[in-house]
Amino acid sequence: MKRVSVLCACLLAGAAWAEEYSFDAAEFEKKPFEFGGYLEYKPDRAWLNRDGAFYVLNGLERSTLDRNAATLKLNAKYTRGIASFALRADAEVRRDELSSERIKRFDEAYVSLKPDPGFTLDAGKQALKWGKGYAWNPVGFVERPKDPNDAELAREGYTMVAADFIRNFDGKLRTIAFTPLLLPVSGAVNSDFGKPGHVNVAAKLYFLYRDTDIDLVYLGRGSRTPRFGIDFSRNLTSNLEIHGEWARITDFEKRVTDASGAATTQRESVTSSLLGLRYLSENDATAILEYYRNGTGYTQSQMSDFYRFVDSGLSQLQTTASDALLQQALNLSQSGYGRPNPMRNYVYAKISQKEPFDILYFTPSFAAIINPNDRSYSLTPELLYTGVTNLELRFRLYVLNGDVQTEFGEKQNLRRVELFARYYF
Amino acid sequence: MKILIAFLICLLALPAHALDGAGILKKVDRNLEPESYEMLRKLINVEPDGNKKEFVLYSVKKGRDRIVALFLAPQSDKGRATLRLGDNMWLYIPEVGKPMRITSLQSVTGGVFNNADILRIDYTAEYDVESAEEMQGHYLLTLKAKTAEVAYDKLKMSVDKKTFLPVDIECLAASGMLIKTLHFKDIKDFGGGIRRPATVETDSPLYKGYKSVMLYAQIKKREFADEVFTLNYLPRVEGLRK
Repeated sequence: MKRVSVLCACLLAGAAWAEEYSFDAAEFEKKPFEFGGYLEYKPDRAWLNRDGAFYVLNGLERSTLDRNAATLKLNAKYTRGIASFALRADAEVRRDELSSERIKRFDEAYVSLKPDPGFTLDAGKQALKWGKGYAWNPVGFVERPKDPNDAELAREGYTMVAADFIRNFDGKLRTIAFTPLLLPVSGAVNSDFGKPGHVNVAAKLYFLYRDTDIDLVYLGRGSRTPRFGIDFSRNLTSNLEIHGEWARITDFEKRVTDASGAATTQRESVTSSLLGLRYLSENDATAILEYYRNGTGYTQSQMSDFYRFVDSGLSQLQTTASDALLQQALNLSQSGYGRPNPMRNYVYAKISQKEPFDILYFTPSFAAIINPNDRSYSLTPELLYTGVTNLELRFRLYVLNGDVQTEFGEKQNLRRVELFARYYF
Repeated sequence: MKILIAFLICLLALPAHALDGAGILKKVDRNLEPESYEMLRKLINVEPDGNKKEFVLYSVKKGRDRIVALFLAPQSDKGRATLRLGDNMWLYIPEVGKPMRITSLQSVTGGVFNNADILRIDYTAEYDVESAEEMQGHYLLTLKAKTAEVAYDKLKMSVDKKTFLPVDIECLAASGMLIKTLHFKDIKDFGGGIRRPATVETDSPLYKGYKSVMLYAQIKKREFADEVFTLNYLPRVEGLRK
């Protein structure tokens, strides 16, 4: 009887084990059509900076602004033989107390032919990401600008034809990959890339040489002025990585205004660069530190002139009820002054601690963007929890600080708090 | 003369009894996996309260030190791919759109397994055998990392004498501190002459109460082009699956 009991106990224990750790590989068989995506809901509240130039330009007249945003991202891929079709669709609804906005677009939709592991041909809309920087990419010549506050956010691509040739070797040079591409611009295709009527030629040449990633990048004259650059990335030790980018842009054009609103177009060849480190501590804290020299940016005196011009526009509105100067300033803002990080020098620092106090899937982080020229800054603490399968919960706070006529002191917001829940399916 | 003969006999006898640690380690590598293969496995992180998080990975390996792993589940991680070439490791996240360098001590899944465990290459590629001892029923190999880039400075590997498969591996830091222990269980025939543990469990004094488990479902010999193991190929790894 004892033996039977022991046998039963063993059998039960075995069954429990099998149940606890089962794995049915058949569930993961490859299918020709794959589909997925996520649904995100993001409410946020901004405390507005009533003294800020961009508060004035955006005509807000209130102290807080609440917003709700819902986003649906759909990914689909169909594969047949050497061909595949990939699609990434984006649908967003944003509603605040003043306005609402709906966005429907394809971030990517392209056909890919892969006759050989060393060769791929892609045609359609796709988002290429060049460069090694985390917050900024001065060598990102054929992509939409990155938001350093949300550097990992998916971005919309451009329509292009791109090829990819890869060769591997034994020895110090392990890989060479060449990625040439053609990017047409017309009134209907890629119209926001630059001047229409051009088929732009760009290319990237990648090497893995002595354990260092190196890219040489190039964009020929066309819709944008010609530019070339180089980037690199390398692990110095098992927990320390160094990366950098350097870009030279010929004949870069920039709209510049003086304090009275007299705007001119400056044309000059400029150099941008970035140097960064990523460090992982023994207790699983990751630190990223980057210095960015933005050759296309405005100097402190150029930005001060712009802020003074906005002040003049506000005075005009208050005294004559005319918003002509403010409209002119708004146009200048859209042509460059209002872009994220429009000045010359920046420091980015981010520290994230994975699973502190043994709380699995919990990652608090703290990021800072500092403008060392005017000593203004933005601080972003964040809490991320991914403990529930396919659900991501994030809380983020933005705190901006700076004196009058400084970059972060003149922004629209003083603080902003956002929550988001993202469910993957 | 007698002394000389005795000395010569000893000299001849020594190599016959000295354990060939490097040879044992080579056998362990090949018994665990063929040099080039494709594999399907599930990784489970178990929290002290019993909550679990599961990841399914498709991996391909070529030679001693080239491996790619693609996440098939959960949906939030699907499409992520990691590449390891020797001491170099990268992570590709489809949304980010470009590979970024990661380190062996980080963990792309969280939990007790780190990247070096998930993207494991041949032990002989990363470690030299410092000593080999014969114990009852098993060999005890002490392995020393070949470079400072390797995740664990030392391994104490207990190898079954009959199967030449690992039973337990203690992973130690340079200070001698125990980082984690890997337990190999549940030997299964995967076909094609591959017979190895289907379960690898790990626990760590650094993560008290937590446990991570790897379940192996498929391991098949398969040859791949060198170009598969490059950054440019990472977004296309899914295309390798049949």
